[in-house]
Amino acid sequence: MTITDASPEADAPALPPAPLPVVQGSTAGTDHKVIGTLFVAAALVFLVVGGVLAVIMRSQTAAPDLHAVGANTYRQLFTMHGVVMVFLFLLPLWLGLVTALVPLQIGATRMAFPRVHALSLWLFVGGAGMVAAAPLASDVLGGWTLSTPLPEGAAFKGDGVDLLVLGLIVVAVAAITVAINVLATVLQLRAPGLTMARIPLFSWSATVSAAVMLLALPVLVGALLLLFVDRHYGGHVFNGFTGSRGGNPLLWPRLFWFGAYPLLWALLLPALGAVSDIVPVFARRRLFSHQRAVAAIAAVGVLSFAGWGSEVANLRRARPLFALGVLLVLVPVASLILNWVATAATAARQDKTLKERFRSVPMLHARGALGLLLLGLGGELVAALDAGGQSHRNYWGVATQHSLFFGAALVGAVAAIYYWAPKLWGRHLSEKLGRVQFLALVGGLFLTVLPMFVLGIQDMGAHTSSYVADGDLGPANLIASIGGAIVVLGVLLLVLNLLVSVVAHRGVAAGSDPWGGHTLEWTTTSPPPAANFAVLPEVRSETPLLDLAQSETQP
Amino acid sequence: MTAVAAPARTDATPAPASAAPLALPSGVKPTPALVLPDRTRALGAYLFMVADAMVLATIVAAYFAIKDGSSAWPPTGVGVGTYIPFIVTITLTMAACSAQWAVRAVRDNDQRNVAIALVFTIFLAVAAANAEWAAFAKAGFGVGDHAYGTFYYVLLGYHVAHLLVAVVLLALLAGRSLLGHFSADHHDPLRSGVLYFQYTNAVWYAVATALFVLSRVNG
Repeated sequence: MTITDASPEADAPALPPAPLPVVQGSTAGTDHKVIGTLFVAAALVFLVVGGVLAVIMRSQTAAPDLHAVGANTYRQLFTMHGVVMVFLFLLPLWLGLVTALVPLQIGATRMAFPRVHALSLWLFVGGAGMVAAAPLASDVLGGWTLSTPLPEGAAFKGDGVDLLVLGLIVVAVAAITVAINVLATVLQLRAPGLTMARIPLFSWSATVSAAVMLLALPVLVGALLLLFVDRHYGGHVFNGFTGSRGGNPLLWPRLFWFGAYPLLWALLLPALGAVSDIVPVFARRRLFSHQRAVAAIAAVGVLSFAGWGSEVANLRRARPLFALGVLLVLVPVASLILNWVATAATAARQDKTLKERFRSVPMLHARGALGLLLLGLGGELVAALDAGGQSHRNYWGVATQHSLFFGAALVGAVAAIYYWAPKLWGRHLSEKLGRVQFLALVGGLFLTVLPMFVLGIQDMGAHTSSYVADGDLGPANLIASIGGAIVVLGVLLLVLNLLVSVVAHRGVAAGSDPWGGHTLEWTTTSPPPAANFAVLPEVRSETPLLDLAQSETQP
Repeated sequence: MTAVAAPARTDATPAPASAAPLALPSGVKPTPALVLPDRTRALGAYLFMVADAMVLATIVAAYFAIKDGSSAWPPTGVGVGTYIPFIVTITLTMAACSAQWAVRAVRDNDQRNVAIALVFTIFLAVAAANAEWAAFAKAGFGVGDHAYGTFYYVLLGYHVAHLLVAVVLLALLAGRSLLGHFSADHHDPLRSGVLYFQYTNAVWYAVATALFVLSRVNG
């Protein structure tokens, strides 16, 4: 970090590997960049685990009448794949990226509560361990919604599910504490001049996402607590229909989806924010309308609470209302997409480097996320019109969730990783490996999801573990299975890239502002020092670095 | 405590490293946000209470959903007493007042009254927790007997757990006030702690209304 006169930079042959931003001394355990990085690392481990589970499942359904795994094992794989991907991958991935980046983006030196942040990490690790150990204790067959069969079903018994329920409570509490921390940081620690309307869109989406989590995750915690009391102490909340003793199993899916549906949107929101930050930087202009993007992201957060009932069967009278709820949340997402397209379309055409910039790895992933988002929005549109209906229980729902809440969120997150890796870890990820990985990941996702939509039209049940050769389900299933394997290959290439470029220091050392960024994180060194900033520029708009560049060119 | 603290205070030449809380290059002014702005901890406490209230709201919503689907609530033959909930309500209302007394006293820089008020509050809170324990012991039904029983133990347990956390917090605050950590200008932790205690009282009113008042109203 310190360059002395004795060793001028130009004559230095090869720079020794720069250390990771591990802070020495007493602040090491509470540096938000370190904790965020550990969250991301944990998430990537579980992404590989969840991906391998998916490949095993897809090998069972690749062709008719296969017996790779039994029906019971398949249901367990089904449960753990869903639980791992939502709660142990997407959730910590965003908790990590958000807490590592938001203080840098808003010009803060720290999180509001650094020790609580560290507590969150270790709570998550503990909870994730409990969840991961659950299938070792006994069969876990409920699906990721813990509701098929209904909680009272005989197949739902066993210590494994108890462990799963408790583990999920701990993970949810960890996420709630992070959400509180993010909200307090954004509300209280912004740089002077950085009003709420001016904060970068990734930070804004993180704020909205944290607010949604703050309200939605406690609903899951309350429901899981009641479920645990039912299962462990013989309570009668969901243990139903036992005469005068009370209890109603139909209550479970309602409580669960009331928390889980907004949570899924909260996990997609930071991806939308990341793309909103990346597109203008690579288009070399301001976002078409920052205000409308702020409004759209906030609207997604608010309206995400309106559509939960579309996932629940037997809500006859309320069905049109929930259909409308889902349709409403799609409007701001569409507005955000138009904002990105308008920004890219009006980029300076005379700029010769534009084409090259649009083909850089972060921008490629942003475009991949856009493609999956459009596909998922189409799926969700149809599913909304069929609120509570069959398309939520067959492969149409699987395809929609995997393009929107998994595909777009994952690829958006990978775009964020390529874009901010130089800042956070001081090293660029390999561009060559990145392009191959992009083809595998995004190509594989489309190859998986498109046939799944076809299977939805053919009404293949979401839980089906085996099917007969008579029908015409074979080809689409085979393509989806091949696609799934390619996605896992893409994930492994991403992990390899991170290991080689960042952990082994093989990546190109990054300057403080490698992309020509617009926001405050690019003013500090890469990686930033313990306290993030030595000095901050004056903030007069949502793009302080563009203002600075303009004031330098127009003296 | 004092034996350790005293030499540090009288040390005429403190180590220069202790002046800067975080390592910055020498000669560079720390950015303004290095110091936590006022009320940040209170904001954190408020946000925590929002999340906690959502957990409670979920359980209470489930309570009313089950209640509305039941033919008799509480089930026929289950008597719900009014004596213990009444005692707990009065005790906690007194404790709410004495907790505010502590906040008023610290604003006047009156450390003695802060400690007295906190100890008094702790005493009342423990008494309320004890009364609730009696409510468990004398209920006459178990958590697995019927849905009302499940919610009875979950909701009262939810309050008792919060109350015990509040007692620990108030005890820590009483200790800190005796050590002279608070003044008229600096008492953010005391305010946050009392705020949390008042929140646990709000939890009690919600729980008691659901379990003992509205349970008698059959819609």
